[in-house]
Amino acid sequence: MVDAVTATQVVMSVEAVEASQLGMKALAASIAIVGTGLASAWAELSIGSAAVGAVAENKDLFGSVLVLTIIPETIVIFGLVVGLLLIL
Amino acid sequence: MSAIVGSAPYLYVCTRFRVRRMKLIPQEEYLRMLQMSLPEIIRLIQETEYKREIDELSHSFRGIDLIEVALSWNLAKTYQKVLEIMPEGLREMTESYLRRWDIQNVLAILRGKAQGLPPGKIKEVLIPAGELDRDYLDKIITCAEPGKVLESLKRWRLYPVLARELPRATESGSFSFLENELYKQFYHDILDETGAGIKGGKEFLEFLRLEIDIRNLQILFRLRVNGAKGEVVTFFIPGGTFTVEELVRLHETSSTDAFFDSLTAQLKNRELISLLGRFRQKNGLVPGALHEIENALTLMQYSRLEMMARYHSFSIWPILAYIERKKQEITNLRAITRGKQAGLSTEQIRNYLVM
Repeated sequence: MVDAVTATQVVMSVEAVEASQLGMKALAASIAIVGTGLASAWAELSIGSAAVGAVAENKDLFGSVLVLTIIPETIVIFGLVVGLLLIL
Repeated sequence: MSAIVGSAPYLYVCTRFRVRRMKLIPQEEYLRMLQMSLPEIIRLIQETEYKREIDELSHSFRGIDLIEVALSWNLAKTYQKVLEIMPEGLREMTESYLRRWDIQNVLAILRGKAQGLPPGKIKEVLIPAGELDRDYLDKIITCAEPGKVLESLKRWRLYPVLARELPRATESGSFSFLENELYKQFYHDILDETGAGIKGGKEFLEFLRLEIDIRNLQILFRLRVNGAKGEVVTFFIPGGTFTVEELVRLHETSSTDAFFDSLTAQLKNRELISLLGRFRQKNGLVPGALHEIENALTLMQYSRLEMMARYHSFSIWPILAYIERKKQEITNLRAITRGKQAGLSTEQIRNYLVM
């Protein structure tokens, strides 16, 4: 009786572990994307505000500040890549 | 989250002023102007950002007067625009700092009235960048005598000081004591407001102390060079890092060497110490050196402003650095045009420029 219960429990634990691993991967991927998304947003807020200020005074700076504003986007792309690597 | 979003206006405004500061006339341009004739300088100024004001005023003024009034108008407009784009917090501090222009305007009107100048002539030198706007100042200019000017300024926050000191000033014909008292009250009020724990007030307070120190040192050198005796305590502005008692003690130091020694011992600013060392070795405290010392002190204030503006990029410092630099640009342009008109040599005009 005791052995049967233990065996059932072991079988259930393996399934639970597999499900849990998948869940953990999904959770890790979401954290990677959400974290880098927030970081990008924060960085772009600062750079964007300063960039708009600079362009308001000197329109010739538009090209340079546009590049600077999109640089933090790379952070969220890294997050997306990490997320995809975890899931796939 | 609100704290993050809340910083965006600071970033926007401070960057705007950093870019604006870069657009001010550079040192090389002033040196080029010194080699030009007056018509060439006027033409050059007309081609810069002063064009709009020059076009607007060209019907009423001619030649150098036109340039002078256009420069004043441009400065007033610039300062009003500064306030328009300022976020809450920074606006209050900037507004209170720009109130110093009210003192300058009121004194210009009073001096003009005392000398019997026509309203149009007084209007040329006014810079309505403070609390008293152009319309209000226009009304005051029409008053016939200083007493009437006082009556129309009843709403002004420095009215009690003006009412207390104006009779003595009109009687003696000298407004310098009144000017001192007004500035002392102005700094007292602004230090009180800033010390009340407003956001970003710490940096502003630091700037005010620096300005008071520079002003006090300029007064100290002026008093020493002119050999002023007697009650000098009233000349100094309280609130800086030097106390009024320390400044009086320095003034009363008998020998020049002892004066330089005690002043250097109390200073923490290495730049200022080396500056004083240079003057001590060069020519001591002769009247001819006074102008040079005052210019060097102003320049030191600007270099400290620039440094603090870089160190605290998103605070009141970049805005104050721009405000002060813009004021200096106008002063330099005036010095060049008036100097050229008066036939001064290039070297003499250069001594009046702070660049």
